[in-house]
Amino acid sequence: MALRTPEEYIQSLADLKLRIYLFGELVEDYVNHPLIRPSINCMAMTYELAQHPEYEDLMLATSHLTGKKVNRFTHIHQSVEDLAKKVKMQRLLGQKTGSCFQRCVGMDAINALYSVTYEIDQAKGTDYHERFRKYVQYLQDNDLVADGAMTDPKGDRSLAPHEQADPDAYLHVVERRDDGIVVRGAKAHQTGACNSHEIIVMPTITMRPGDEDYAVSFSCPSNADGIYYIYGRQASDTRKLEETELDVGNPRFGGQEALIVFDDVFVPWERVYMCGEVEFSGALVERFAGFHRQSYGGCKVGVGDVLIGAAALAAEYNGVARASHIRDKLIEMTHLNESLFSCGLACSYEGVRMPAGNYQCDLLLANVCKQNVTRFPYEIARLAEDIAGGLMVTMPSAQDLADEKLGPVVEKYLVGTSDVPTIDRLRILRLIENLTIGAGAVGYRTESMHGAGSPQAQRIMIARQSNIDHKKELAKAIAQVGKPWDTSKVKKPAAVAR
Amino acid sequence: MTGTGTGRPGAPRLAVVYCGGCNPQIDRAAVAAALPADDPGVRPGAVVYLSGCPRACASGHALTPAGPDEGGEGPAPGAGEAPQVVVAGTLVDGQPVAPDEVAAAVTRKLKE
Repeated sequence: MALRTPEEYIQSLADLKLRIYLFGELVEDYVNHPLIRPSINCMAMTYELAQHPEYEDLMLATSHLTGKKVNRFTHIHQSVEDLAKKVKMQRLLGQKTGSCFQRCVGMDAINALYSVTYEIDQAKGTDYHERFRKYVQYLQDNDLVADGAMTDPKGDRSLAPHEQADPDAYLHVVERRDDGIVVRGAKAHQTGACNSHEIIVMPTITMRPGDEDYAVSFSCPSNADGIYYIYGRQASDTRKLEETELDVGNPRFGGQEALIVFDDVFVPWERVYMCGEVEFSGALVERFAGFHRQSYGGCKVGVGDVLIGAAALAAEYNGVARASHIRDKLIEMTHLNESLFSCGLACSYEGVRMPAGNYQCDLLLANVCKQNVTRFPYEIARLAEDIAGGLMVTMPSAQDLADEKLGPVVEKYLVGTSDVPTIDRLRILRLIENLTIGAGAVGYRTESMHGAGSPQAQRIMIARQSNIDHKKELAKAIAQVGKPWDTSKVKKPAAVAR
Repeated sequence: MTGTGTGRPGAPRLAVVYCGGCNPQIDRAAVAAALPADDPGVRPGAVVYLSGCPRACASGHALTPAGPDEGGEGPAPGAGEAPQVVVAGTLVDGQPVAPDEVAAAVTRKLKE
């Protein structure tokens, strides 16, 4: 199959007949549900841009498995240039959607598993890597979306997976059969899961002996028997049900998270990529996290571009664009945003070729990247709110603006500069509201904090790779630590001696 | 790759290619000095790419001499030829070893 069009993607998603629950009800026509469709539009944009020659350099890559052009989201990185183009592609999509577009997590999962399965085989004599290569080619040939499912509910965080009161707190193998395994458990906070053709499961933490049933990685169709989804709520999400585009802020696009439940799901052996090899679970978690922390140096920057643009327009519409403090705030927002992009590129250009032949981004710099992402979008959002003014949270509804009697009043009192229609001023303010405290803030703020691992997870990785002993030696050498102390050579400065 | 040299003067059997040494996690000079430069068990023309950290600058950002999917930026495959070993901090051909075991691990690779 050639690259899918957005329309083909959406039809293929509808054909899966996923079991998605929202507000306690099974959603039948989920691709047209007003609360879900904006997130599908985001995913469809990853197909749309791949159709255009002007975006091909970022959106497409040449498969090392087949030599064919494939969507970069299904590609195994073959160079540092591939790593950098990945980040640039993510910035582009953030700009086009002003939202989380959800397809990154599967790309990061396949790239992490590619090297880890190779290394398991080298050490254990298994054939996981060959299975996985076939699977990657299947994704590429059919231009599929895969969800990378890592985060378990985790229960009591002080206990190992096998020590939990409820053994299902971490997804695990409940039965090993001649033809495959049966798994049970759940994966939480799954971005884009309901928009995916495939689910790729990975362990969520480094497993220890005793956790063998939990050290499991596999893939399965998103509509496999036993799988269902409980859709996550977002701030102001029911505004999408009001059928007034204005008050949503970003009416066409949005993010998506869901809880995936695996209720005794059968997985054939050819789709199993780790089963009991606890000693490799840590490497898989670290590499996936590294790729996903790199991703945030692209996607959040693209959304940041939209927010900075909105803030600049708000200032323009308010008639204060030339005020020096406004210009300085926009400079600061840009400085912060480009700093994130710099981190995303830096960890790409310092990437290495792994024993499996694919490229992994630099883990220290990827963690530094994500650590900054846990902070800078909050400051960018604060500055955007500062520039926007209080109207973004006090303005009347779209219905008031459309009302025969109230509409002219709203027009009269909420106009800014005379050459800008009031409706456009309100649209921009609603977009800033969406990204800073509304449904879009789920992706731009809290996802920046906790997605791809919470801040402390990055600090642990940074500490592990900080090479502090080398820094100590540098300081000792400069300060001449250890040099014999000869007091006879200590003289008072001439000025003091006088 | 930012520098080249031999482990010791007068030891052409084994070449050591150094990174620039901006962030070393190992003492590269000490590792090079402990390599079997004069050992007849090492095939002449052997190369050790010796980087101080996992960024592997000496080997063009490759953790192994050759992967199953050839290409990329690393050193060329050396199958059937003099051995090539990549050191990147405490990784030897991509496998983690203890810091004080790096030279011994490389030596074993050179004699395989």
